[in-house]
Amino acid sequence: MIGTGSTFAVLGSRPAWAQGRLRVEQGEFQPLPIAIPNFVPGSPADTQVGADVTGVITNNLKRSGLFAPIDQAAFIERITNIDVAPQFANWKTINAQALVTGRMTRQGDGRLKAEFRLWDVASGQQLTGAQYFTAPEYWRRIAHIISDQIYERLTGEKGYFDSRVVFVDETGPSERRVKRLALMDQDGANVRYLTRGADLVLTPRFSPSTQEITYMEFGQGDPKVYLYNIETSQREIVGNFPGMSFAPRFSPDGQRIIMSLQQGGNSNLFVMDLRSKSTTRLTDTPAIDTSPSYAPDGSRICFESDRGGKPQIYVMPAAGGQAQRISFGDGTYSTPVWSPRGDYIAFTKQGGGQFAIGIMKTDGSGERILTSGFHNEGPTFAPNGRVLMFFRDPGGNSGPSLFTVDVSGRNEQRVPTPGFASDPAWSPLLS
Amino acid sequence: MKLKVDKTMVASVALHVLVIGWGLITFSARSLEVVPEALPIDIISSADLSKMTAGLKNGEKDKPKPLVEKVADARPVDEAVGKIDDKKKEVVTSTSTAEPPPKPVEKKPDVKPKEEPKQAEKKPEPPKPDPIAEALKADEAKKPKPKQEAKATPPQPQKPKERVFDQSRIAALIDKRDPTRQSITGAALNPTSALGTATGNSDTRVANWMGPFVKRMRECFNFPYNGQDADQFEADIDIRMQPDGTVGVEPTIVAVRGPSKSVATAVAESAKRAIIQCQKYTFLPKEQYESWKYIQLTFGLTEH
Repeated sequence: MIGTGSTFAVLGSRPAWAQGRLRVEQGEFQPLPIAIPNFVPGSPADTQVGADVTGVITNNLKRSGLFAPIDQAAFIERITNIDVAPQFANWKTINAQALVTGRMTRQGDGRLKAEFRLWDVASGQQLTGAQYFTAPEYWRRIAHIISDQIYERLTGEKGYFDSRVVFVDETGPSERRVKRLALMDQDGANVRYLTRGADLVLTPRFSPSTQEITYMEFGQGDPKVYLYNIETSQREIVGNFPGMSFAPRFSPDGQRIIMSLQQGGNSNLFVMDLRSKSTTRLTDTPAIDTSPSYAPDGSRICFESDRGGKPQIYVMPAAGGQAQRISFGDGTYSTPVWSPRGDYIAFTKQGGGQFAIGIMKTDGSGERILTSGFHNEGPTFAPNGRVLMFFRDPGGNSGPSLFTVDVSGRNEQRVPTPGFASDPAWSPLLS
Repeated sequence: MKLKVDKTMVASVALHVLVIGWGLITFSARSLEVVPEALPIDIISSADLSKMTAGLKNGEKDKPKPLVEKVADARPVDEAVGKIDDKKKEVVTSTSTAEPPPKPVEKKPDVKPKEEPKQAEKKPEPPKPDPIAEALKADEAKKPKPKQEAKATPPQPQKPKERVFDQSRIAALIDKRDPTRQSITGAALNPTSALGTATGNSDTRVANWMGPFVKRMRECFNFPYNGQDADQFEADIDIRMQPDGTVGVEPTIVAVRGPSKSVATAVAESAKRAIIQCQKYTFLPKEQYESWKYIQLTFGLTEH
């Protein structure tokens, strides 16, 4: 008997001792309670870095919306040695389902050694554990890597904490706003500026495979697409096209850049091979085709076009060809971005005086609005495709800020930035 | 006599009747058709019926199945007696050891000590002695207390000496409780179990523990996932249970399904943790251990 909609069902007929499979559907999702005591210092001098690493891990997991770190004030047991198993009863008492213990030790050569263990409180088993060595100034990165390990072990998915975000930093009054290209950790820390603000920069995009950025800059002449290497701080112009080139984005292998070129009142899509510098036209329509984005396997692209009258999202083969419209809701759709997982396309939707950030499946079905308001725009996916970052401008004399929201739309978080910030683009995982 | 008929009137009446009649038929609310449930029936002839209801003049007379009050004299119902016996016994012993006072109230001082309880129904009086004494002392009509007090206060046996018999307060000695023997309607017990029919299997059904078990699992199973494809992930887990409601050996992952194998495996591991975390399952009925010593579960995610 199979009970549709019931909490369980018995499948098939079995012998008396085996009553058939009972179906257990997960109840209302609750973030997983996890206990993260301060990492034990290898020496008294390591106490601060131990607490700092713990703080970063706690913040990462909490912001993901999938975990609920337990307040340290509730802890019963104090971890003093990570080489012996904790007293799990003490952690069960505070309803922890997972426990992270760790140790930070300064080595004789000046490097920092980070060790951690992830425990399953119910069974008392160690789920994972690792140790890392790094220069002391990279303690934050170690914390992100450990966060990813925990995330991956408990969810089965790659993490996204050891990643960076490039964005447009905005300062000054709204009529004379200075826009600089800036880079930061995904949690808003370690901000560093890549340009000086002399020229207007827009739409920075990370390479999916290298530590390079492509962006559009308004210089003396027409706006041009540039390529910027984060590690060498060198930049180069991408092609030398007549007219304006804009909305650049890398191909999944990082070897090509797809972008829009304006010709007259129209704009079409072009792809440029970064090695051969050869350019290929992908669309040729009397319309505005822009904001192209590759599928992670590189076989297709999604883009925005007003060829049907108003901006909508289309999908077509990466080499060009028949484009298929996939957005059919009320309003207009723009800035489509293909998820690194390949399952969703994120977009900005405008209608009814609102700007919303949403996702839909790649065939246009399952549209889901994740956040809506006066002005939300520019979604970018985290490397694991489970979280999006976007910017929100409240209007008036204020300026835009960055936010993250998970693909369920339940967990929205503001990303701290030094000033106003817009147009974020998430990097791939650093490790 | 000539009747003058107004033709228009006739026509009007006729038309009204027609219209109303048609309306009644057409617009009348039709009751929902109830499809009669098929019931098994036996057809018997009227002769049979009258034969059944007529009775036999020479038939064996019904053995009187008197109510317990009467039957009790002749054939006490063992079980019933047993039940009441305990109480009464204590009352008797505690009140006044072997004192006759209680008995006088009874109609039949039986020889069998065990039979007494039967009459005990009528003789909740045994405790009387104490209530009376107390009532007189404290001026408090407290007759329901009897049994308990009698039990609770063994020292009372000494009280009898102080007792004063007051006829005017005999009413206080009457047991005003409802008879407790109503459930016994005769000497013979119904051969059919009151818990179900002879072919019933309610006692062997296992659905009664499945609901609570699945509910408990749902409470414990919490997998951190937020994708729209959540409902595509499933994990089959088998558990061997111990009779005390604990999980015997580590739950076995039989199969996992889903768009991502790593996520599906994590779902299965999370389910295993939930199973271990939630033990022990003391609500599982021990007498049905055979039905739950080996439990097969399928864990699934739901999209939120």
